[in-house]
Amino acid sequence: MAESPVLLLAGLVLAGAVALALHRLRADRRRLRRRIDAATTELQHLQLSFARFAPNAVVESIAARARIPEAERREVTVLFADLVGFTALSEQLDPDVLVAVLNEYFVRMSRVIGEHRGHVAKFIGDGLMALFGALEPNPWQVNDAVHAALAMQRALVAYNAELASRGLPALRAGIGIHRGTAVAGLIGSDALMEFTVIGRPVNLASRVEGLTRTHHVDILVTAAVRDRLDPRFVLDELPAREVRGVAEPVVTYAVRGFREEGDQSLSRTGTGTGRA
Amino acid sequence: MENLDTVEWEACLLEPVRNPETERFLRKTVGIVPPGARYFLDSPWLCGAVAGLGQMPMLYLSADLGEMVALVVSQDNSCRYCYTATRGIMKILGFPERRIRRLEEDFLAADLNPAETLALTFARRVSRAAPLAGNADIRSLVEVGYSPAAAKEIALAAASNVFMNRLSTLLALPPTDADLADRWWVRVFRPLIAQILRRRAAHAIVLSPEQRQGPFAEFVNAFDGLPAAPRLRSVLDQAWRSPALPARVKAFVFAVVARGIACVPAEREAVRLLLAEGMTSEQIEPALAHLAGPDLDPLEQSAVALARESIWYRPAPLQRLARSISTQLTRLQFVELVGATALANAVCRLSVALEPADSPA
Repeated sequence: MAESPVLLLAGLVLAGAVALALHRLRADRRRLRRRIDAATTELQHLQLSFARFAPNAVVESIAARARIPEAERREVTVLFADLVGFTALSEQLDPDVLVAVLNEYFVRMSRVIGEHRGHVAKFIGDGLMALFGALEPNPWQVNDAVHAALAMQRALVAYNAELASRGLPALRAGIGIHRGTAVAGLIGSDALMEFTVIGRPVNLASRVEGLTRTHHVDILVTAAVRDRLDPRFVLDELPAREVRGVAEPVVTYAVRGFREEGDQSLSRTGTGTGRA
Repeated sequence: MENLDTVEWEACLLEPVRNPETERFLRKTVGIVPPGARYFLDSPWLCGAVAGLGQMPMLYLSADLGEMVALVVSQDNSCRYCYTATRGIMKILGFPERRIRRLEEDFLAADLNPAETLALTFARRVSRAAPLAGNADIRSLVEVGYSPAAAKEIALAAASNVFMNRLSTLLALPPTDADLADRWWVRVFRPLIAQILRRRAAHAIVLSPEQRQGPFAEFVNAFDGLPAAPRLRSVLDQAWRSPALPARVKAFVFAVVARGIACVPAEREAVRLLLAEGMTSEQIEPALAHLAGPDLDPLEQSAVALARESIWYRPAPLQRLARSISTQLTRLQFVELVGATALANAVCRLSVALEPADSPA
């Protein structure tokens, strides 16, 4: 009979131990669930961020560690923007100030490009390459790109006013735009990969940006862009120039502005630096 | 893919209205006046479209798969209103919270059979239209066991959600109570509601010769035999008959969406409708190429701008554009423009069911 209280006590201890273990298990499970939820949310945020730089299908393939989608030919409009005289400027300014000025310039330009359905594919030193029609098909990509270029110049005027109030020199940007069929895909190594486009349209857009210095204008487009452009854009044809990597001299057109329906005034470009 | 919490959503663009006649119609056809419909009860055709497309009768598609399609498409389109509503319906149908969350996180890794996974992938592809889904996508579904008619019903389910998502997003409809399905009085009636939701169409319906005519007939006729086809026909006919917006505006909306997603048959039909309204090719092409021009009146200019932005969008900027356009139009014009834009996005994506010769490459 004396064994009963012992057995009862042992039973109680055992039940308590089981209950405690169960409680701990549940707590662990809740903790694990919270971690999974947090990780999932983080992954979704990452996917969302990446979706601004690559098509959804590409982002999802990477997230799922599935096969990388094959590269494909795609009609794109390529915009190159480069700061004029930035090397000289970089020698005058304190490195911290220089980087801050440049980063703020990139932030503002990226915002404008995004507002016009483009995306910045890469920053190259003090320049950038933006693509229109690379993430989703866009039959209006040419108009979007040239509107973006005009808006970038307007944004630069506003930025220059702020720089002047801080006693800093004004920035000047040249913009070149070309359209064509390029190869779009994930390019790079295992360690560093980017969704971008390669091919003749990219090279020529870069060369055309370089011609803004030759012609002393802010925005230049090629005939391929002009052919698809809304006639309300005001263009000036410029003399053909030879560029590296292209057999024939390239005719370009300076974008002077955009004339709204029934409006005689010109919504025009201009950085306030007296270039165009 | 968007997490519901990350979706920026503007305040609703409209005030609710009353219309006893339309409310009676909705109670009769849908069973209730959907909370979102209270904001556009002044447009009988749009309420008819919500009843017709939101409650499409399905012959093959199960209610469970239909709601999974709704969840995936609504999530992909960042529609907070539809997403919340779909979650509620899934709970009523008996989906455990954990399963819904797995689907939200990544349906490809959720506990689905290969045929269900492919159906959801297909639905998302129809909705995204980047590039436009084609006949090969239907064939993939047939290869895993769906009949061609069942595959077309999945496309219809995706398109009907495209319609509801655009409608709810453009108007920034306030999401319903997320916990509605867990309220005790809903829980009590869950089995009954689930039974009603699971009800399928009894038999195939062949379109009459009259139903095979009308705007976008080629698109509707591709679904002949499915009970949803007459609904789609009726919605399109009512949209075109509604006097709030001129037919030219509606045709332009369809043409812009068709061009945006490179849907050649839809653009061809929209241009035919514009020509029938007395426009010439020389007027239509520049307007579509540049979304502007001297031949577009102010209403048409607003319409093409909204149509273009509705194809691929982020909700808040789209809602801000819609709000700015709403100030230039009468309330009814605005409501019906939103409806026509949503309908155009749905119908143009249905080119997936057209025969290969007609479907885009």
